[in-house]
Amino acid sequence: MVRYLLRRLASAVVTLWLLATIVFLIVSVLPGDVGRRVLGPFALKEDVARYNHQIGTDRPLIRQYLTTIRRLFTLDFGNSYQTASSVNKIIFPALFRSGKLALLAFVITIPISIAAGIFAARRQDKPSDRIVVTTGLASSSIPEFVTAAVLLSVFSVHWRLGKVFANPPDGTSVIGQFRYLIMPALAMVVAYFGYITRMSRAGVIHGLQSDYARTATMKGLSKGEVMRRHILRNALAPTITVISVQIGYLFGGIIGVEKVFNYAGLGSTMLNAVTHKDIPVLQAAVLLVGVVYMSSTLLADVLIAFLNPRVRLETTR
Amino acid sequence: MTDSIFDRLRRGASPVELELTEAFAQGRITRRAFVQRGSVIGLSVAFMGSVIAACGSDGKSKTATSSSSTLASTTAASTTAAGTAAAGAIKKGGTLRIAAQKPAGPLDPVAMADLGTYTPVVTAFEYLVDILGAEVKPMLAESWKPNADGSVWTFSLRKGVKWHDGTAFTAADVVATMDRLSASNLKAYIKAGSTKAIDDFTVEITLNNPDGQFPQQVGAYNPQSVITPKDYVLGTTLDKRMTGTGAFKMTKYDPAIGATFEANTDWWGGKPYLDKLEFLFSEDIATQIAGLQGGAADAIVQFSVLGGDALLSDSNMVVETIHGSAHRQIWMNTREGNYTDVKVRQAIALGIDRPALIDTVLKGKGDIGNDHPISPIYPFFDATLPQRKRDVEKAKQLLKDAGKEGLEATMYFPNLQEIPQLAQLVQSQLKDIGMKVTLQQEKNVDGDEWCKVYDSKVEPAGCDGGMDFGIVDYGPRGVPDVYLVKAYATGEWNSAHYISEPFRAAVKKYQSSLDLDGQKAAIKDIQKIANTDVPYAIPYFYNTLFAHTKKVTGIVATGLGHFYCGKAGFTA
Repeated sequence: MVRYLLRRLASAVVTLWLLATIVFLIVSVLPGDVGRRVLGPFALKEDVARYNHQIGTDRPLIRQYLTTIRRLFTLDFGNSYQTASSVNKIIFPALFRSGKLALLAFVITIPISIAAGIFAARRQDKPSDRIVVTTGLASSSIPEFVTAAVLLSVFSVHWRLGKVFANPPDGTSVIGQFRYLIMPALAMVVAYFGYITRMSRAGVIHGLQSDYARTATMKGLSKGEVMRRHILRNALAPTITVISVQIGYLFGGIIGVEKVFNYAGLGSTMLNAVTHKDIPVLQAAVLLVGVVYMSSTLLADVLIAFLNPRVRLETTR
Repeated sequence: MTDSIFDRLRRGASPVELELTEAFAQGRITRRAFVQRGSVIGLSVAFMGSVIAACGSDGKSKTATSSSSTLASTTAASTTAAGTAAAGAIKKGGTLRIAAQKPAGPLDPVAMADLGTYTPVVTAFEYLVDILGAEVKPMLAESWKPNADGSVWTFSLRKGVKWHDGTAFTAADVVATMDRLSASNLKAYIKAGSTKAIDDFTVEITLNNPDGQFPQQVGAYNPQSVITPKDYVLGTTLDKRMTGTGAFKMTKYDPAIGATFEANTDWWGGKPYLDKLEFLFSEDIATQIAGLQGGAADAIVQFSVLGGDALLSDSNMVVETIHGSAHRQIWMNTREGNYTDVKVRQAIALGIDRPALIDTVLKGKGDIGNDHPISPIYPFFDATLPQRKRDVEKAKQLLKDAGKEGLEATMYFPNLQEIPQLAQLVQSQLKDIGMKVTLQQEKNVDGDEWCKVYDSKVEPAGCDGGMDFGIVDYGPRGVPDVYLVKAYATGEWNSAHYISEPFRAAVKKYQSSLDLDGQKAAIKDIQKIANTDVPYAIPYFYNTLFAHTKKVTGIVATGLGHFYCGKAGFTA
């Protein structure tokens, strides 16, 4: 298991290096002059040139690339071109905020959708199963920013049940923060409910039809025990894989929801960095999302190995 | 006015002051124009009051016509940053939550270039003069005076003002600020290194050229001219060195979320009613409007008609209108291509239905334009120039005379606020005069690059991207100098490549005039030449809007990111 983990960590470092290189290449071909963008269209040419020299964007690409890689290892991403403040002071609070929102969304989504999946699987092809499947399909086919916009205008603006701006002020209690985050979290719940429900339903149906479930039932185990001890362990593996991939997405990809609720998460931070050609912030944020993706998939693999002895045995070889 | 009173008043007055006083006494200018102009050249309120009182007795001066047009908002409470608060009861205390544009750059007072950045910076810092209302009033300077030709200005500073860290504000701070500006933002105006501290509270600024309007450059319409402490150097940002002299002091800044300001109890304008200001940043107006309507904010710094319908029709909100000088120019290359013949340009100007544009694009929130950049808000605006009205037949005839019947054109426009909608309407209106206009949205490139694309061999090198027909935006200004110089008289932003010696001469005359009469005469020529030559068709001057809930009062805004809350508060 330790060797397996080390192998995974080594591949993570290579992946991060590749990611950093790709991001660097992409931002290098983005059009526009950084100094001009930061100082505005009316700044003097000399000021623009001085600024570009100061931040190093007038250096040869290879030197800029080496700086980027050095930053990756020292975790010093320099200063934001846009705000002139430390990149770390921008991205880590954004990561923390995204984390809070993702956590709340998952705390609500996972139990509900797994329970709904099991419920539907056990009533396969019955009306209740159809309702769950259709609801899931409908909810996951609505883009999350549309759900967010509807929740915002109906619940936050009209009925004032939720907050319009999801950033909680400093010193807000945990309960208070829940009030700020619940609306954007619900938008995400609606988006992921169908997806996770479908996965868990399929897994459970597969398990229910398997030989080991039949054997367990014939041994005289109750339905609940068969489900808990045999089916769920196997059925949850693909669901966990799906969830782990979604974690990365939740951290960096829910730009629509963040925009609607004016939430300063990692997604909107990246969008803002792209808009303003804020390369240091963009690089750091993309790398951070990469780290989150890798950590969550690694965690999922470990969890699957723990749940499934066959995988566990393979990893120890 | 009796001679004895007049003699007494003019004793010690400079030639400029004397000329203005005489113009008013002889009834050549209105009382409003006298006060506006007098405030620019630094006449004290007491002096102007005496003159008005004296003139009133013989009834020579005309009474000013009332107008709702002002540069800044005229809320019920006040027209100045430190003005008198509304007569209605205002509660003490409370936090005003303001939805504001997210800053696009560092909070650098000199390098800042967007409204989002202006807002927090101008909340902390103040200017030498207050030009928020129709008159120029004291802010950090208590009085100011030009020399005989307007090339040297002396400012007497307010005593007892403290920076937010408790240190005293003195002439050294103003000298440092002006030195910094003379190398950047006010390079064209202030002679480098010329600013001198006469004593701790008197500063003398020497200009490159005489300028009778100089105080306008050190007020709100040049936001970069905020006075910063002497230890501020190029690149110092407000969030790194939180200070200022304003009614509120910055305590927290997060560019992604917002800024918090606490009341400055030592403010020279008196202790603010509010305890705290909280600016809540957002990239887009729709989110800010939702915030205001959903109770997350109490006010919004600025919004436009486009996308702002929800607020305009919300009976729970108070929408304030700021009449200003911001406008759109429909430019035509006067030097090469299809628009060199003035008849073609006049035809296009005649083909535009201005009232329809204002009603449709601005929902009525605009003042009609007459193809010159002088807004009706300026004291020297010449209302006698006939308003150009739509005349389709005449326009068709002009096109025919110019041999351009059925002219096909490509109109370039930026994707900014209402401009795409304006472009579509102009396209459809010009169809009536037989023109076939194709619309082309400009690529989003940076200022310099955009100008570099220019490919004309003909001087002056205007900033038009090599095209010959399009729309460009101009923001609000306290004086029209930027429009006159940059868009019309020089090549810098001269999209129309317009060269007119009579126009340049009139601009020069306007800029060197220290008296209102001279300015009025020059502006009359400027308006007429621009209206006849039509390098730019100017359909309207759009109003800037801001809004707040009904329980808020006393906010003073400019449309340039200023949101003064020194006398604002919640109604009791």
